[in-house]
Amino acid sequence: MEPTLHHWANHLAATQLSQWLLAREWIIVILQSIHIVMLSLVFGCAVVINLRVLGVSARGRPVSTLVPSLTPWMYGALLVLLITGTFQTIAEPMREFVAPAFWAKMTMVLIVFLLTAAFDRAVRRNRERWDSAASKPRGALLFAVVSLTLWIAIIFCGRFIAYTWNFYA
Amino acid sequence: MTLHLILQTLQNNPLAAAIRGESDPIRLTTWFFPIIETFHVLSIAVVFGSIFMVDVRLLGLAKRDGTVSQISGEILPYTWTAFGCAVLTGSLLFLTKADQYFHNLQFELKFLFMFLAGVNMVIFHRGVYRHVLDWEQAARPPIGARVAGAFSIALWIAVIFMGRWIGFTTNI
Repeated sequence: MEPTLHHWANHLAATQLSQWLLAREWIIVILQSIHIVMLSLVFGCAVVINLRVLGVSARGRPVSTLVPSLTPWMYGALLVLLITGTFQTIAEPMREFVAPAFWAKMTMVLIVFLLTAAFDRAVRRNRERWDSAASKPRGALLFAVVSLTLWIAIIFCGRFIAYTWNFYA
Repeated sequence: MTLHLILQTLQNNPLAAAIRGESDPIRLTTWFFPIIETFHVLSIAVVFGSIFMVDVRLLGLAKRDGTVSQISGEILPYTWTAFGCAVLTGSLLFLTKADQYFHNLQFELKFLFMFLAGVNMVIFHRGVYRHVLDWEQAARPPIGARVAGAFSIALWIAVIFMGRWIGFTTNI
């Protein structure tokens, strides 16, 4: 009996689109490169926001203007990441489907974007509170630490798909 | 040839062998290259992400929040720190197959594009940027700033593309 993941991976790999993509390595190179460019935008924004909230970068724009100006870019980049990721998966389904790193990554991506959206909303709703000279709300510091950790873990998992999937195929 | 000797020495030493993950009975070193490579990805992500934030203002596309000089002052320290980490991690990766990488077309193009990005940056900082306080409040940045911003984004995207491409063109 073929395991379910393997079954679906083989099913997807047999489709015309998958074969078409796989036959053209240059497309996969481009998809992966766009993926890296987009994750740079997301991670760059995350680093700027989180270090600002943590008070590591002391000067600069107030949190209340910083966060709403950066989060749209993060959401836009996420969309492109999902698109390029989908096509990469269609091209080489077994790779993603069998790798625990992939599932860990997607779970963390979901969590971190939900947290980011919640934080975004909290900041937009109460701008004055976020700009006050007093120390940031504890929830904000927790968010910053958790989200930075998640981003780094996501990027590790993303890279490690390539190095681990063949052990599970 | 001296160059050949240098490259061979770079890749035939215990450190390079360890990162390549050779002759390790417990296979721990197998993971050195992927880990170093991931820190390389994290570094370049910050480099490109931060440069993008500045360039988008040079292009006049993100005016709502922060002027060019403000953002540059705030962001560029990140950029340089991350670039330093990218150079460090990149050097360790280079060690593993110095000879092969050095003669790899995509590797060479990557450094060419980085060099051009550097040239673009120097020209901009010595030219248009010197009077940034005069033009950053205007509706549209001067043509020099927009050209510098466009070249910067294009060149760094090219660096990323070439970097990723290297992985597809070297043998394991």
